[in-house]
Parts: sequence; C-alpha cells; structure tokens
Amino acid sequence: MLSVKNLAKQYTCRDKKGRKTIVKAVDDVSFILEEKKSYSLVGESGSGKSTLARLLLYIEKPTSGQIKIDQLDLAKMSTRELRNKRADIQMVMQDGQSSLDPSLKIYDSIAEPLRNFLKISKKEEKRRVEALISKVELPLAVLDRLPHQLSGGQQKRVTIARAISINPKFIVFDEAVSGLDVTVRKKILDLLLRLRDESGSSYLFITHDIDVAMYMARNILIMKDGKIVEQLENISSLTEFKHDYSKVLIRSLPPRTPGHRQVKI
Amino acid sequence: MLKKVFKSKQAVAGLLIILIVVFIAIFAPWLAPNQPEEINPAKKFTGASLEYPLGTDQLGRCIFSRLIYGARYSLGIAVPVLLVLAVISLLIGTIPPYLGGRFDQLFVVVSDIFMSFPPLLVVLSLVGALGQGILNIMIAVVFSMWVWFAKVVRSYVLLERKQGYIMAAKIAGCSDLKIITRHIIPNILPALLVYFSTGIAGMILMISGFSFLGLGITAGVPEWGAMLSSGKAYLYSHPLLLVYPGLFILFTATGFNLFGEALRDIISPEEV
Repeated sequence: MLSVKNLAKQYTCRDKKGRKTIVKAVDDVSFILEEKKSYSLVGESGSGKSTLARLLLYIEKPTSGQIKIDQLDLAKMSTRELRNKRADIQMVMQDGQSSLDPSLKIYDSIAEPLRNFLKISKKEEKRRVEALISKVELPLAVLDRLPHQLSGGQQKRVTIARAISINPKFIVFDEAVSGLDVTVRKKILDLLLRLRDESGSSYLFITHDIDVAMYMARNILIMKDGKIVEQLENISSLTEFKHDYSKVLIRSLPPRTPGHRQVKI
Repeated sequence: MLKKVFKSKQAVAGLLIILIVVFIAIFAPWLAPNQPEEINPAKKFTGASLEYPLGTDQLGRCIFSRLIYGARYSLGIAVPVLLVLAVISLLIGTIPPYLGGRFDQLFVVVSDIFMSFPPLLVVLSLVGALGQGILNIMIAVVFSMWVWFAKVVRSYVLLERKQGYIMAAKIAGCSDLKIITRHIIPNILPALLVYFSTGIAGMILMISGFSFLGLGITAGVPEWGAMLSSGKAYLYSHPLLLVYPGLFILFTATGFNLFGEALRDIISPEEV
C-alpha cells in the first residue's frame, strides 16, 4: 500500500524584477494506492502531475508531507535503503528515446534493474531479459540494437520491459502514451492492461487524456493546480464526476461525430 | 564512428601525420645518422652533406638527428601530460556538477580562482620553484591546465545530467557512482576525445614555447622549441637553424589539429 499524506512541493522562482515567487507545484495532496488496483491521475498541463510522479519515486524530495510504502516512511530512509526500495516502485517516463541511455544496447538497458536489484547469474539474466522482451512483444533481434535504431513504439515497449523486470508493487506511468500515434497507443495500452492482469502490480496512469484514464482504470484522481480536486472509485460512466473542473474536462473531449460539434463550421 | 573516420580525408591525413611522427619518435635511434648530442667543434655550420643530411648547428651537432630525437621529447611530454589531464579532469570535473548545489558552486569558485592566473604565469613560477627538469615542466603544465579541462568536462556533464535516461537509471536502482561511470562518462567521452586530441596540438606548441623561453628543458636537449631558441642567435647568418625545428613543430601540430577537428566534424552533428 502506498499512502500519500499532505504532500506538497514548492519551487522558488524569480520573476522579471528579481523578486522571489513561490510556485506550488503540488499542494497538500493526500491519497492511498492499494495493491493490485489501477488508478488514473488526470490533469491539464502544468497541474503538477509529473512533479507528483517524481515525488512518489522520491527522485525529488517533497517540501512537506509524507509518502509511505507499506507503512515505511520514505523520508526516514538512507540513500541506500531508498535505492533498494525502488524495487517496489518503478516509473515509465513520457519520452521513450530520452529515457534510454543512447550508448547502451537494449539488452543492457533492460538488464540494468535486474543487475542492480537482484543478484542473479549471467545465464539467468539472459533468460529473464529474453522473457521480458517477448512479454512486451518485441523480436529478440532488438536486444542488440541501440535506442535510436528503434521506433517510438518499440522504445516505449523497452522502457515498459525495464519497469516490469523486477516485478514492482507499483508502476507509475507518466504520460506513457502521449506522443505515440493512435494505433500504436491502443496497442501499448492493451499490452499494459494484459501485463497488469498477469503480474498483479498496481498501476498509476498519469495522463492529460480522460479517455485514456477511463480506459486504463476504474479509480480516477483529478488534479488541478497542484491539488487533487476529485477522487472516484470504481466508476462506470462519465456522469459520476461531480466537480466542476472534472465536468470541464469531460466537456472538452472531442465530439464523436461532426454532428455533435458545439461550434458549427 | 571508426568507419566515418576512415572516410574523412581530413581525418586520414591527420592520422597519417600523427603516425609518421610517432614512427619517427619510436625508431629515432635507427633513423638518426648521428648522435644528437655529439659535439664536433671542427664542423660548425656545415651545409647539407651525406654525413649530415641537414648540416650542423653552432656546435657541430647533426641537425637532422636532433630533429628526429626531438619528436621523442615533443610526444613524450605532450601525450603523458594530456593523459594525466584527462584522468584528473574526469575525476574532478564529473562529480561536483553531477551532485549540483553547493558542491558545484564550490568547484566553480575554486576553478575560477585557478583560471584567473594565466597558465604561463603558473608555469613560470612553478618551474622557478621546482627547478629545471622535464618532470617539473610536466607537473607545472598539469597544474596550470587541469582547471581548463575540468571546466570543459563539467559543461558536458551539466548538459548530460538533465537527460531523461539519468533519471531512468536512478529509478532502475543505480547508485550515483554507477550513473557517473556507466552512463555519464560513456556518453560524454566522444566529445571529450575531440577536445583532448585538439588539446595535444596545443600542448606540443606550449611545451615548445616553454623550452624556447628556456623553461624546464635544460640546454643541449634536442627539443624543437629549445633548438629554435638556441638558433635564434643565428637568425641572419644561418636562418635554416630556425626553419627546420619550426617546420617540425608546425607539421606535428598540424597533424593533431587536422585529426582532432575532423573528429569534431564527425561527432558534432550527432550531438546537436
């Protein structure tokens, strides 16, 4: 169980006149992610979604508040303990290309978390990497290539393989499918759903797209200006959203047919 | 990358010159017709002959042999100094900018203090304090130059550490040390190789310059810069004493520069 309590992150910036201004990227956020359940976090650009993701992974330290994984406070851990704790929570980042080391072969990129978290033999490592690459539906030949030789969808699959390699309890997907074209996106989403059912990990999808959010999970968190404005469990239709901002989000969905357009051309 | 190097005419030309100089340096005892330090007062300033292919200098020493042995000094000083500089700058230039914050600020302050003294000044005072000698000039050059190299390394690390794959590596459980050695250094190394290989040319010129000024290398040693220096007294009567070592310095520096700049042209399009 991952519980977040009164989490806040502030950045100090200087405006044009050199005065300090405080930007509240994440502002008093609390929620609980249960194991073996999926969640979607929806919010517009700049609402603090990615900051929240980085806080959950404890790559950035929060200004205040606490994050607990299985009742253990991340803030009280040493650097080494924290590093080992990352075996429990993994993240897939938005840009597949930049999240792969350009000088490492795909094999080494996927094997990296295995080498860091588990002590396994070379043979076992090879077996696992090959199993992972076929799990994300890529040919074995990909393993010898470099990241720039892969397409965007393939790169994304590699980063997914990397994240699931150590069977973490939680995986955060930060805008995992934005920047991919529609058909590739659908395939990746279906792949993720299948992997989730096989592994029993708990997934948190961070997206700006309420369609994707609904497709991926029944538990929805809506974020605006650093705050969670609405949190719904087990929803089945868009009409269950109550908050004004959630309704704005739903209204902003593109119409299904030209006849449904609000503005006539 | 290796394929591209052999495709580029500039790189091949540079490499060829470098190989020639390295060959000369290694096989100097076989290539030189005479002992470079053998003085023969009876045969001062002779012209080119079979015995002395380029004639003799003011002490009757074979110029050609001295030039050939000079390659040993130029490369033998410049290359080790550069290797030491590379190691030092990779050690010092990567960790503070990677950690950021106060460490990096401290590093910048210290390096700015070092950079505010011109290298020539540092070398002059250090050689003055340590005394003459090839090892001392090497120490002095390293001491005066490390900060420039470390600063370059730092700027590359700053660019690299913002990349997504560094965060991804952290998430994948890499320690900071592992991120620096396995991810940052391999990715900045090609760019640094370019900087180091063009740096060699500068280093050769610098060493020759110092020995021209009489720093570090004792009189009589067949170093090109030192030969220039002793030849300058005979500028009007025997100008060739200056021309030959000058040409050798030019030739060697050109080789390293050609190669280094060709490397840069090959690597930089990928970077941008």
